[in-house]
Amino acid sequence: MIKERTKRQFIPWFYVAIPLGLLALLTFLPVINMFRYSVTNWDGVDPTRQYVGMSNYGKVFTDPEIFHTLFVSIYYFGGAILQIIFALFLATVLSYGLRGANFYKSLLVFPFLLNAVAVSLVFRFLFRGGDGLGPGGLDVLLQHLGLGRFVTQWTGNPHVVNFSLAGVSIWRYIGFNIVLFLGAIQSINPELFEAAQLDRANRWHQFRYIILPGIRRITALSVILAVSGSIAVFDIPYIMLGGANGSTTFVIATVKTAFNLGRVGLASSLAVVLLGIVLLVTFVQRTLFKDEQVDLV
Amino acid sequence: MRKRLVAGVVSSVLAASFLTAIGFTPAQAAPAGWCKQITVLTNRTDIAPTTFTKVYGPQFTAGAGNGTKVKFEAFTNYNQDVLTMMNTKNYGDVLGIPNSITPAQFPKFFSPLGKASVLSKTYRFINEGSYNGTVYGLAQTGNAGGYDVNLKDWKAAGITTPPATPAEFIADLKKIKAAEPDVIPLYTNYATGWAPTAWTNSFTGYAQGVDGQNIMAKDKAPWTAGKDAFIGDDLLYQAVAAGLTEKDPTSTDWEASKPLINKGAIATMFLGSWSVSQFQGAGPNPQDIGFYPIPVKDPKTGKFQTFISGDVKQAINKNSKCQASAQAWLKYFEQDSGYAYSQGGINPYIKGPNGESYTIFDKLGVEYKSLNPAPAGHDSDFANVQKAAGIPTDGTLEQNIIDTARGAKAGTEASIFADLNSKWATGVASLG
Amino acid sequence: MKNRNAFKVILYLVLTVASFAMVFPLIPLIFASLKGATEFNDTGPLTPPKNWFNFHNFAVAWTQGNLAHAFFNTGILLSVSLVGTILIGTMTAYALDRFDFKGKKIIVWSFLIATLVPGVTTQVATFQIINKLNLYNTRLSGILLYLGTDIISIYIFLQFMQSIPKALDEAARIDGAGHFTIYFRIILPLLRPAIATVIIIKGIAIYNDFYTPFLYMPDPNLGTVSTSLYRFIGPFSASWQVICAATFLVILPTLVVFLALQKYIYKGLSTGAVK
Repeated sequence: MIKERTKRQFIPWFYVAIPLGLLALLTFLPVINMFRYSVTNWDGVDPTRQYVGMSNYGKVFTDPEIFHTLFVSIYYFGGAILQIIFALFLATVLSYGLRGANFYKSLLVFPFLLNAVAVSLVFRFLFRGGDGLGPGGLDVLLQHLGLGRFVTQWTGNPHVVNFSLAGVSIWRYIGFNIVLFLGAIQSINPELFEAAQLDRANRWHQFRYIILPGIRRITALSVILAVSGSIAVFDIPYIMLGGANGSTTFVIATVKTAFNLGRVGLASSLAVVLLGIVLLVTFVQRTLFKDEQVDLV
Repeated sequence: MRKRLVAGVVSSVLAASFLTAIGFTPAQAAPAGWCKQITVLTNRTDIAPTTFTKVYGPQFTAGAGNGTKVKFEAFTNYNQDVLTMMNTKNYGDVLGIPNSITPAQFPKFFSPLGKASVLSKTYRFINEGSYNGTVYGLAQTGNAGGYDVNLKDWKAAGITTPPATPAEFIADLKKIKAAEPDVIPLYTNYATGWAPTAWTNSFTGYAQGVDGQNIMAKDKAPWTAGKDAFIGDDLLYQAVAAGLTEKDPTSTDWEASKPLINKGAIATMFLGSWSVSQFQGAGPNPQDIGFYPIPVKDPKTGKFQTFISGDVKQAINKNSKCQASAQAWLKYFEQDSGYAYSQGGINPYIKGPNGESYTIFDKLGVEYKSLNPAPAGHDSDFANVQKAAGIPTDGTLEQNIIDTARGAKAGTEASIFADLNSKWATGVASLG
Repeated sequence: MKNRNAFKVILYLVLTVASFAMVFPLIPLIFASLKGATEFNDTGPLTPPKNWFNFHNFAVAWTQGNLAHAFFNTGILLSVSLVGTILIGTMTAYALDRFDFKGKKIIVWSFLIATLVPGVTTQVATFQIINKLNLYNTRLSGILLYLGTDIISIYIFLQFMQSIPKALDEAARIDGAGHFTIYFRIILPLLRPAIATVIIIKGIAIYNDFYTPFLYMPDPNLGTVSTSLYRFIGPFSASWQVICAATFLVILPTLVVFLALQKYIYKGLSTGAVK
């Protein structure tokens, strides 16, 4: 019996060895190395690297080009908040069980499943403007609707470009929020709605006093995802514009600094800062919503 | 034992004589060997699947390659993508040197091809791919400086001779805009990144003479009126600020711009002579594509001038296990493929035929010149200054000028140049 | 009653406008993909194609864009990574849920901490590791990254595992089954719904991923659907009608899968998020 017990001490290690190894190799080791690189001037190739102290971190906060990228994420964060509001609204409408609701739902959710490069190309084509190439679909639509005066260079106008890109981001991710909200709404005890109907509560009251409290946790989660997501934006602006015209995000700047400018040291300090921001946000979330965490262990 | 030694000596002598015969002197031991297949990295996405894969590859395999097959990997964002690969040892066997690699870095990445003094008897533009007297890269073709025009558009505005000064250049673009409102007078190709770099690079020497680049490497304020770097970037700024360029630079498109200049929707593009053949081939109007000399005349002779220079330098990955195959390919590509000629270029192989870049200016009476190489031991000075100064070579410098000139970014022309000068000065200082 | 109908009309109006906004961006793309070169240049983006069955652009995109090879590459990455993820995830969940052993707490904690580190932040350093392992520019790099950085799947399995009664494996143990038999014969089949969820979220993520193949597999022969389509832009940018066709071809499998598995996808998405 004792033997059996010792055996049961060892067996699980056989099952977790591979995932643990991968975890150490691809998550923990990179994080440790990142800190180590961030205080050097390493170019990623040279066998040697010099210790430069905190000077890379100094650059992150003083180089206007890098610092600007943090402002870019504000556009995406604003977009994400709008997206949550729209999604909440649409999910509520869909939850009324109208005929054809499923059809609308699939139209709203489908873009979320699309390939990042495909999405970028769809919008590059939609946004293109004049210059011998013919107008893009968006400009033509606006003309048809009599809104021609709003036609602008969707990616060329520096005051508009990040709004356009944040718009693409809303288009792409709103379906995800709708699915989450709808799932949460549908898991609310239906008796609550029945009781509300008996009390002749109107739609607004149902929303305010039943739906909203029922989806608190999902809303909080969405906001957190919005924060970390808006800092980690990479593929859409990179594929559509290569980060030009003020659309460079923090992650694009990190990738370019590391792999194209050969400044792995500086890029690592950028990455450490990014990690710090994400950890901070998560920490805030965990403290604020501590009681509502599902215990997994 | 002795037998093996003798065989070794004989084979290395044979290899050496073979290499000398093809124009290479081995700076190190005998080449590491032949492979069944080598990989060549190229920026020519347009012809990699066709000319490269279907003509050059099989030709090489059947001939000098001794059966070695060639795989071409083409990259749209060549510099970015290949620089990323160069963070590893795995960057093809033969590749074009990305433009932000400094000569001082050549030995770190590429195999030595021979002594500059020897190879320069066989090839042009040798100094551009050398470091400390050793050659690491051979130009794939050679270009004459200048810019492309759609002759029909220029004629329609009443212009038949190339502008002789920067001010005349701007005035002519304005005439084109007035005469043909639908035509884009000047197309920056902003989005490519590499295309607008011509504004900074291709003016070197025109005002300051054949030592232009060496002078700039010591100059603490090269972006000052009258100097090469200033003239080009200033011209770009003026053209954009006057609304003579495309409306939305971010949606510019390189491949799409070729047919547009061919049919006259674009009147001017500022690119070297290599672009002429591509624009001619992009539509039904090859006769409309012309090439004009840079609007800065030689201050001494008062004549138009053009500086010839090497295009992308082809080099061999130092970590490649296929050194012999790679060298054979390089030799084939430089001497026998006919690439330079087909691109209308000046042939880097001195004995090879020259394309029309060599004669394009004959009628205009343009002087052909080339920049003086850096003095011995200073090969990398210019690039080192550039790097230490943090002056980007990927087009962000020019994109910044365009964005500022069109009011898309805060700043003035003076503030941009002041910033460039102060950065450059720190770069110069770093050389000590 | 009247009021109710008016309310319904408004709801439908809202849904229609919203759905239109989602569908509209795709319309110019679909139209363009069916137009010939001159037709494309001469007509506006919202003018329907003359011939709805002109599939020439699709043929060009398929052959010259090397899309068949791209689908093959993505297929390999998908299948190997999915099988690996399922095995690793279920095994980990099995060990953590069914065994009590020293160090279990530490393991659970290290997985927990890892969820806090978004993969995108560590690429600078991960790149060097992949490089040192000599895996750069190989399929294995992508597979390893998809396997090694996926903690969400482990959580999904763990959660589901908790709902499988322990009495089942106790009974099997009494019948003399070893731990592996229990895992393979009893637990794994019972985890089927969770496996379906993981396949859906992970599959979508891998099919759509651009970052990993772009950074780690630059060799065009290893190009996935994402990177091949990305490479398409340069050489074909003079013929956007072909780019549009290629884009549509990339969207098509997603559309088919979506239509076939809609319900599972909705479920998978909500389970995946609420880790």
